[in-house]
Amino acid sequence: MRILKRYYPAAVIALWAIGWFCFFQFRYPYHFFFQEQNQLFLWSWDYISTYFDKSGGLALLAGDFLTQFYYYLFAGAAILSLVLLLAGTLVYIALRNFNVNRVIAMILAIAMMSFLAVCHFSTSYRLSSTIAILGWILLLWIISLMKDWKLRAVILCCALLPTWLLFGAPQIRKIQKPDLILEKDFAVDCEYYFGNHDKVIETVEGSTEWTDQMIFFYNLVQAQRGELPDHLMKFTPNILGTFYKIGPETPMLIIRNMNELYWALGDMTFTERAAMMTNVFSHNNRNVRMIRRLAECNFVSGDSLAAEKYLRILDKTLAYDKWAMNVRQQGKQLYREKMQMVNHRDTITITDNAHFLMMQLLDANPNNTVALDYILCSDLLLKDISNFKRDYDRYCLDTGRPRLKALYQEALCIWLAGTKAPQELWQQYIHRDDVMQRFMDYNNRRGDPAFKGTYWYYFDKIKAPEA
Amino acid sequence: MKRLLYILTTLATTILLHSCTPTPKDVVTRDVLPPIYPDYCDVTIPENIAPLNFLIREDCEAIEVKAGELTLNASGNEAVFDIDDWKELMQQSAGKEIDVTVTALIDGQWTEFKPFHWNIVKDKIDPYLTYRLIEPDYEIWNNIQIQQRCVENFEVNALGHYEQLENRCMNCHTFASQDPRLSMMYVRGPGGGAILNQDGKLNKLDIPGSVYFGFSPSGRYITYSTQKIIPAFHSDPSKRLEVYDATSNVFVADMEQQRIISSPLLSDSLKFETFPTFSPDGKYIYYCAADSVSLPVDIQQLQYRLVRIAFDEASGTIGTQVDTLAATTSVCHPRISPDGRFLLYTVADYGTFPIWHPEADLQMMNLETGAVDSLLTVNSQKSDTYHSWSSNSRWFVFASKRDDGLYGKPYFCYIDKEGKAHKPFCLPQEHPAFYDNNLKSFNAPELGKGKVPFDVYDVAKAMKQEALHFNR
Repeated sequence: MRILKRYYPAAVIALWAIGWFCFFQFRYPYHFFFQEQNQLFLWSWDYISTYFDKSGGLALLAGDFLTQFYYYLFAGAAILSLVLLLAGTLVYIALRNFNVNRVIAMILAIAMMSFLAVCHFSTSYRLSSTIAILGWILLLWIISLMKDWKLRAVILCCALLPTWLLFGAPQIRKIQKPDLILEKDFAVDCEYYFGNHDKVIETVEGSTEWTDQMIFFYNLVQAQRGELPDHLMKFTPNILGTFYKIGPETPMLIIRNMNELYWALGDMTFTERAAMMTNVFSHNNRNVRMIRRLAECNFVSGDSLAAEKYLRILDKTLAYDKWAMNVRQQGKQLYREKMQMVNHRDTITITDNAHFLMMQLLDANPNNTVALDYILCSDLLLKDISNFKRDYDRYCLDTGRPRLKALYQEALCIWLAGTKAPQELWQQYIHRDDVMQRFMDYNNRRGDPAFKGTYWYYFDKIKAPEA
Repeated sequence: MKRLLYILTTLATTILLHSCTPTPKDVVTRDVLPPIYPDYCDVTIPENIAPLNFLIREDCEAIEVKAGELTLNASGNEAVFDIDDWKELMQQSAGKEIDVTVTALIDGQWTEFKPFHWNIVKDKIDPYLTYRLIEPDYEIWNNIQIQQRCVENFEVNALGHYEQLENRCMNCHTFASQDPRLSMMYVRGPGGGAILNQDGKLNKLDIPGSVYFGFSPSGRYITYSTQKIIPAFHSDPSKRLEVYDATSNVFVADMEQQRIISSPLLSDSLKFETFPTFSPDGKYIYYCAADSVSLPVDIQQLQYRLVRIAFDEASGTIGTQVDTLAATTSVCHPRISPDGRFLLYTVADYGTFPIWHPEADLQMMNLETGAVDSLLTVNSQKSDTYHSWSSNSRWFVFASKRDDGLYGKPYFCYIDKEGKAHKPFCLPQEHPAFYDNNLKSFNAPELGKGKVPFDVYDVAKAMKQEALHFNR
């Protein structure tokens, strides 16, 4: 009974840490991946030494060092839980050394652990801040070991400056509830990044509520499977990403999404631009995911010197050095398709208007199905039937590559009907009898929800996004 | 104090490594130059330069470097010289050429590479270098800084820092005759302006949008260009970014009478005028001018000529005739050596932003003979541009993207008495891996004779001042 009384606070603290582990691992794991991807830690003395230019260098160094391991499954939740456990244990021991009642000490320790854990609900809060707090708790614990108050005061005075230099002040910007919607956004983003495209589809299709981010990645996956027009009408409003523009006020997540879109489209100029801009707005202006992308896009565009610059950086990471080696050895096979899509026809533009960029890509390479579907689907989302017809003619008919997707056939029916086109034109454009038959049915029941999922219904009933 | 831990760790690591550093035995020789980075093989250096620390691009376990009388043994692939030993070597070897032999332990085998030499000249380089650190894609910035680095050691201090200047964009910092007592920088955005330093006293000037500028020899006049800068994008990823001016004109600011002097010849609406600089005798303003074309469509027809116009410092009047000095390919950034002998400028196939033009090269015109040196030993396959002279006219610094085509680095080039350019070398860093890890470009490097008498806090204070008004 005495043993139980003595050790139950430790058990409660440990259980509390395990509880937080379970929460972060099973409800909040993608926040860790997000943090890991948005920093860059290098095993290089040149880089490590920069941490000591500011106060709190040790906390920043330890935080960023540990954050790089968030790349691995379970590591994020495990590292955070261990740090919380350490903080809670030290608080408890220190308070006990100050003769605080066991139960109160335990409650305060748990409160401290909870506060630190809650801080981590925010994406802008970094592990280094928790380690900074841990540093100050460590000082409290050291002082608590002294029995004499005078000695405690002397040690406190002597240790304040070193503790400040090593651990600095934590950066707590806001306390918030867990953002489970953002967690879902990160989930699709990360699974896309990891190449788990089926999981992206499953996650989005298995949800009852969808965010712009989820739909964006869903479309990105479908486009690369050549199935974007088959799924475009699934979500309204729909987000393709082609109407975004990058500027000084654009959120970093949007710029990162644009990077993924440009990469999928095959526009290496804008892929590089978006990657550099994401770096600009990342922690310490470095972002390992974008360094990878910069290496990839320069490899694809044939700029081996620039690619090597980034691969060398990745050589100095613990999680990506093998990836860098693989790109050097297997890059030509890995990126063969992308390399064929590179636009070597030079034109110059002052706009990042995606429609214009996709036209350039298609003019240079009419086989670029991803760009073709994005350009046609963008026209259709805007209900811009005349531009759709123009783009369809230019990139499907004139090139002898008709794309007989139901969505496009439905949209062409609208153009043909709207222009009162002669029968020959109907025959030239509409090759699917099922679409023709359904169009006649729809005309008899215009706006009927039974036709949800057709372009006709969207055209009649759904508000188009602003370009 | 804040560096205490760093210093102690470095000391401990150095002692630990030194105690177990292997030395060469059973050496084999290879008749190739060592793959060192930065490339310091066969370069000419001033006696007051910081140690040329370098690394070997090989997976090597240990390295030995013999440079003249100095021998360095180190574990790993980095050669980092002790600064005192280096200074001694430079003093002993000034005016001489020394051999440098690199021997490296690679795969268990000591290999001695073909020796190269360092030509150490007594002509010193100006000890301070200012530059802007910015991501290579200049459209959007964050955490931008203007720094001043002592090239005789590794000391760096900030003149402009994002933390104190509300994360604003800042452009180049320019000295008058490389003199730190008179200089100017421009901070953009609302409440921004040109910050003039006169002996450490900072004033904000109401000279909107001055992008490129230069002082007259007396310091009374500043010639500057104002332009509306437009970024544009190439669809061919190898060409990346293009920047051009929608309008650009040149003016002169009289600091004494606080007035702006203009001329229709320098602000012709059918021409773009930019990159103004005074000649060292103050009698001319050299600048670049191009006929207006339809942009961005006809960007390849945008050809800047090197021109000059007379200026009278006594009366503050601009001449009435424009002389064309060079009109082969598009010319940018003319800068005259302080002794007035040479005019250094950048040539590119077209346009006004050579930073992203791989073909951009430096050229040097002898102003006494008119002969043009294409500087083959200086230029690279990537962009070589934005240069600044040392006060003794024997050195110039320029930004080169030769290593990766993306990130500009400062390179120093020696011009000997005969006007011959020597192979340039990159600004040495304390850690040889610095450039490998760095993700910012060294932009607009400028040499100065001394440390500027202000810091970032003074700039932040000056930003809050009322701007000195100039009559137009």
